[in-house]
Amino acid sequence: MAYPYTHEKEVRVLSRGWGDPRTRTLEGWKAMGGYTALPKALGMSRAEVIDEVKASGLRGRGGAGFPTGIKWSFMPGDKKGAHYLCCNADESEPGTFKDRELLRWTPHQLIEGCLIGAYAIQADHVFIYCRGEFFEATQVLSRAVEEAYEAGYIGKDILGSGHDIDITVFAGAGAYICGEETALMNSIEGRRGLPRVKPPFPAAVGLFGKPTTINNVETLSSIPHIVNNGGSWYRQWGSEKSPGTKLFCVSGHVRRPGNYELPLGFPLEELIYDVCGGFREGRSLKAVIPGGSSVPIMSAADCAGCLLDYEGVVERGSMLGCASVIIMDDSTNIVKQVRRMVDFYAHESCGQCTPCREGTQWLSRILVRIEHGRGTEEDLDTLLELGNQMTGTTICVLSDSAAAPVASSIQKFRDDYLALIRRGEKVGAA
Amino acid sequence: MSDSSTGAGGKGVPFRNPGWAGNTGEYDLTEEQVRGLDYVGTRPVEGGHPGASATYPYMLTARSPEAPLFEGPYQERFGKIRSRFPTAQGALLPTLNLAQEVRGHVSQETMREVAALLGLSDAYVRGVASFYTMYNKREVGRFLIQVCTNISCNLCGGDEVLAAFLEHTGTELGEVSADGLFTVMEVECLAACGTPTAVQINSRYFENVTPEGVPALLDRLRSEVN
Repeated sequence: MAYPYTHEKEVRVLSRGWGDPRTRTLEGWKAMGGYTALPKALGMSRAEVIDEVKASGLRGRGGAGFPTGIKWSFMPGDKKGAHYLCCNADESEPGTFKDRELLRWTPHQLIEGCLIGAYAIQADHVFIYCRGEFFEATQVLSRAVEEAYEAGYIGKDILGSGHDIDITVFAGAGAYICGEETALMNSIEGRRGLPRVKPPFPAAVGLFGKPTTINNVETLSSIPHIVNNGGSWYRQWGSEKSPGTKLFCVSGHVRRPGNYELPLGFPLEELIYDVCGGFREGRSLKAVIPGGSSVPIMSAADCAGCLLDYEGVVERGSMLGCASVIIMDDSTNIVKQVRRMVDFYAHESCGQCTPCREGTQWLSRILVRIEHGRGTEEDLDTLLELGNQMTGTTICVLSDSAAAPVASSIQKFRDDYLALIRRGEKVGAA
Repeated sequence: MSDSSTGAGGKGVPFRNPGWAGNTGEYDLTEEQVRGLDYVGTRPVEGGHPGASATYPYMLTARSPEAPLFEGPYQERFGKIRSRFPTAQGALLPTLNLAQEVRGHVSQETMREVAALLGLSDAYVRGVASFYTMYNKREVGRFLIQVCTNISCNLCGGDEVLAAFLEHTGTELGEVSADGLFTVMEVECLAACGTPTAVQINSRYFENVTPEGVPALLDRLRSEVN
């Protein structure tokens, strides 16, 4: 019954039931100890729940790594109208594929986490925003929501606690930008997915103008375990600043790509060569993108001794993001892959801010030119200058994300660019 | 590569998951168990519980572009969807989904009907519908084949898989095949990067798709509508 990718070094907290169809069901989830954290949380005060999550040091798993307990504490204590919790299941960052597994194998784990989160922030209604393409996973989640309603875990007066919490599963319609928290709220409101200017922050003015918290699927799925076992239990893994386990989504040129749940701070090289089985015969490491397409690319030299936690990856000039580790061997055409990522951002730019709308298109055009041997060395300077102008100048970070792989790849793999440029010059001269 | 490497294989056939280099182990589950069909069963057309009413398939093989949108069980489902949002505008995306489920695409006429139903302007609805890529603005084949060519799939041959789909359906990108069955498109990351190449066909995912596996996969689709 093994999930196809397991390894003895994994610590399977969130992924424990993956690969076992029984885990999906209410009955199966209860047999695994599910729905014990919810009554426990309801028996605690809201402040106690938030304090426990703060004590665990859990950091948001959607990419930014902001401490979840602190985020929850931003919500107004004196409730004047509706409060909302949004679960961000709009997983679209290239290289990331953990939330889909959490949705389709352990939906009740997420539901329980949503309910505890909603209780802690006094939300009456939880919207789980699933990306539209996740039809199959969304169906599983929907069925689980129905089961939980029937069993009285969701709805009016849950478990006789006097609290009313509703959950609505929402399907997106194909827009990467809706994974940005304010764009996500706009999308639920029936608008185009345009990010909002902050402040005001969602905890003050969020969904339908009401105080709102947005948490990632993996974050909320961790909550029942933290409530059940305590914050210090969670801290047995990882480091002081990056505690707990994390789902690492490994893709690219390794023998065993897949999702692996490992303690934060796990060595990158051990992940590549041991857990994922290394490369094909005769191939070696060229580059790693450690946190999804939005973070700077790392060279093989950067990877040596790198520890995979929020701080460890920053030390090597990149970011952990949502731990979407894309691994490239020495057969990789870096320029082509960077161009492909930039095309993605050009396609997904919402068009609101000029540096992003125009900049992503220009990056793409120049990269295509270089890829096809029509580039010049000055193009590299233009790319870097464009990247500078696209960084820190827009409402959201999509623009920065598009520039990051370009600038870092020129810095780390300049020879790859020059080889394409010189090959073109030779062809032109011949 | 066997048929199963494309995710093909009917009821009771083990769903193999060999991964890119053939060394990732495999499920001993059926396709139904992997997809969750055995758990979900058949969801009722009228929407089931209101909390789950907004999550229906966005692409079905059976569709009728002229069919009325909000009658019978669909009207009931619309009512459930509407009940979950404090504003009518909030129900816009799920309502457009419902329209596409019935008609297969969202035409300007459909947008006008949705606008009237929700009390929004035509221009507003068009502005929203055109923002989201999953609303087909024109008719597509009964099977909409979307091939991921983003970085993780691209590293493992996504471009070749896309080329194979175009070759074996005899179509150009975005066009409907002569028999009306297939439209092939490139899609951005489907979040199945560990099982490249990922392909979405209507509402279903197919993973570990290889160029060699494409003909068998197309045969499977043809057999589903015959």
